Amino acid sequence: MPVISLFAWMLVIVFLAFVACMFEDLESDVGSQSNPNSQVQLAPEMGYIHRYYNKAISGEGLSYALACTIAGTIALLLLLQFEPTYGPKAAILAIPVGAAVGSISHMIRSSVCYPGREAAHKRFEQPIYLDVFYGHLVPIATHNFIAVICITAIAYIQSHLTVLSGVSGTSNPFPLPLLCLIWGITVGAIGSSTGDIHYGTEREFQDRPFGEGRRVIYHGQICRYGDCGIRTSKDVVAFCAKYGGPATGLTFGLIVLFENWRTVIGMMLGGLTGAAWNPGIAAASGVGLGIAVAIVLIVLNTWLVRWARKKYGPFVGE
Amino acid sequence: MEPITLVIILVCIIIGGMLGSLGVHLLPVGGAPAAMATATGIATGCVMLMTGSAVTGLFTASSVATFWESNPSVLLVSLSGGVGAMLMMGFTMLIANLIYIFGAGVVPVSGRAAVDPITKESQTEYKTPRTDGHGVPNVCFYSGIVGGFVGGFGGALIYVVLVSSGYAGFSVETAVVVALGIFIANAIMAAYNIGGTIEGFHDPKFKERIVTGLTCAFVISLMCGIMVLIAIETGTLGAGGVL
Amino acid sequence: MTVTPAVEEEEKKGEKPKEKFKFSFDYFNESRLGIFALVVGAIIAVAAFFPSLPAFVKGIGVMAVILWGADSVRKTARYGLGTGVPSIGVLAVGFGLVGATTGMAIGSEIYHYFGSIGILGALAGVAFMAVIGYVSGVLANSERFIGMKIPGLERGMAELAMAGTLAIILECSIVAGSWYIGDILSPIKGYNIAPVAFIAVMFILAGFGMLQPYNSCLGADERRGRTLLMAIEIGGINCIILGAVATLSLGAVQGVPLLVMGAIVWVVFYRAYMKACMDESYATPGTGLIKTLGG
Repeated sequence: MPVISLFAWMLVIVFLAFVACMFEDLESDVGSQSNPNSQVQLAPEMGYIHRYYNKAISGEGLSYALACTIAGTIALLLLLQFEPTYGPKAAILAIPVGAAVGSISHMIRSSVCYPGREAAHKRFEQPIYLDVFYGHLVPIATHNFIAVICITAIAYIQSHLTVLSGVSGTSNPFPLPLLCLIWGITVGAIGSSTGDIHYGTEREFQDRPFGEGRRVIYHGQICRYGDCGIRTSKDVVAFCAKYGGPATGLTFGLIVLFENWRTVIGMMLGGLTGAAWNPGIAAASGVGLGIAVAIVLIVLNTWLVRWARKKYGPFVGE
Repeated sequence: MEPITLVIILVCIIIGGMLGSLGVHLLPVGGAPAAMATATGIATGCVMLMTGSAVTGLFTASSVATFWESNPSVLLVSLSGGVGAMLMMGFTMLIANLIYIFGAGVVPVSGRAAVDPITKESQTEYKTPRTDGHGVPNVCFYSGIVGGFVGGFGGALIYVVLVSSGYAGFSVETAVVVALGIFIANAIMAAYNIGGTIEGFHDPKFKERIVTGLTCAFVISLMCGIMVLIAIETGTLGAGGVL
Repeated sequence: MTVTPAVEEEEKKGEKPKEKFKFSFDYFNESRLGIFALVVGAIIAVAAFFPSLPAFVKGIGVMAVILWGADSVRKTARYGLGTGVPSIGVLAVGFGLVGATTGMAIGSEIYHYFGSIGILGALAGVAFMAVIGYVSGVLANSERFIGMKIPGLERGMAELAMAGTLAIILECSIVAGSWYIGDILSPIKGYNIAPVAFIAVMFILAGFGMLQPYNSCLGADERRGRTLLMAIEIGGINCIILGAVATLSLGAVQGVPLLVMGAIVWVVFYRAYMKACMDESYATPGTGLIKTLGG
């Protein structure tokens, strides 16, 4: 039953991808990273002194590539050290330790950003709140840990798939750190392009009218008060965990699912292994399946936009 | 190595780099304003979006390239990469629209076109005043799908030419980092060319800037390609990689 | 734009990196820092061919080069790039990957046929990359092409391409012991994996050393000294990670000193950076309410 185990591992990867991208998005909300952070950066210049955490390591794609690659490197070092003795069991130690090092490094990098950016806001009288500084570091590290451990596990499974599933030739040729880099860039790119919308459009401007684009004059005038007292970035997570985070996780999960699915189906159509194996048919049918999925996506989006236009109607108001 | 092979490698690197640049120009990128629903497009920078989709394609392409014992089919591997990047863009834009529509209550609308050139839907009256559009409307979605495919195809083309034993025959890691380096350089120059935000092929900016962008991509890919050729000619990076 | 408070005392020549932060890098202005880092980086990169060179010396070279790259990023990104600060740092290492591969291949080839004169061949990659970086700067800045109109972008991109190339060459030699291409592409002794498998981490570490400092310190009151302190601090983190890798690939004799040096540099400069930020900020209250203005 080698094909069944191949599918089973694919579903494990998809589940891990879902969790990884959801926590990636929530982590970026804890520290206010990436695109919505432009408003947190702008706010003091507009006179809006705030208590948000300003975590500007870099864009999400790169900062996740960094954390995941460090995790993958440390995991690979431990695997090289222990795999000859313990076999695949070495991963039980290597992946969590690697992810821990990756997330600690991420936390250290995020700890230099808040003082750096707020010290550069001296002339706008923005102080560095020490409770904001200390209070956000552990949530950043913990959310990051979940995301990084999932990505490292995905990379491990993909680079050891031949051993794990028993189907020869299914392992990816890339080494573990390179796979971590690839999935780190992808997970960050998706987290910033989908998850940020819920934070930037809705949560950061919650005191503005719902159901319209945020006008340019609102920029920098972020919502600084919470349900009780003054809002910090930690309060954003609980809000975004209800919609933005899971939707982001769904994106990455679906991407990983369909990418692997079309490859595996293509391999089956190409004869899987042995004498019947025809690589041309396998690759071509994978491409064909991918194009079919893309056509379905186009239809879905056209229908969704049309539905929204009909339901919401033209812009009313000023 | 035979001169004709070297020429093919150089041409493929140039085509790959130019396709990467073209892909960036086709993506509907809104940058930071899109995260606030102030601009049409996807809410992230073009470089990360293009690199993210291209490496997703590259992952599938690398799996597909191992189907062959040696000498993988350049066309099929590049197509797999292109389709992978296309799917990544498609899912990202679809779910971004879900969040725009159900999370923020915003109708996807283009800011640069009064009428959608493909579906003929009117745009202006759905747009919030004093914004540059919001969401990913249909025409941007189509443009993004094509852009993802083109960019992913370009990235995978550079990779497969470098890794294939029939051409350059680099080791897998060397091939992927060199492909990544050339691709990223082109994507960033294209991002500087469009200056942050673009909606897709219907954007007036596209017509204005595409020639410049492709010229820059040509020059940079040509120079990087010549450097790669020098590296190949030394013979130290070939299959097995050791002198 | 940025107002750099002049710090008077600079009698002492700040040759050792450890003393630099006291003078806010005034001695090492942008030109001097560039020349210093290029010379140090190039000398160490050439010497890094020999496996007997201790890894921590190469680590110093990496830190100098990253410092230079971070300064160049600051110089060019100050005027606004339109797509975020990180892009130009990634451009540097993207060029660096191509340049380092070519440079190492050329150097190894010349070494193979002509002996030790070939170790200068790695600098050929750096020189080629300088040309490519300069041409991309011209393309980006020229009115007839992209027209970004950033003063000094040509020079900045050339510097970044050189810094990226030197950083990747040095990091490869830290992991493999030498940048001889045969060492990099053949398996590490006792394991079935080649040092090139770690190229991803070299790429991203060098990139972050260059792009993060300015991105994290961005703002109206950004100060060069503070930004560069962070660049050295990140160099320290990079040395810790590379030290861990070198411990496996080359043994504890090479790896552990690099790791320890990285840890010391990180602690010293992290504290200095944090202290500078806290001192120079508007206020550092333990907690407090926000001042409400109009909104």
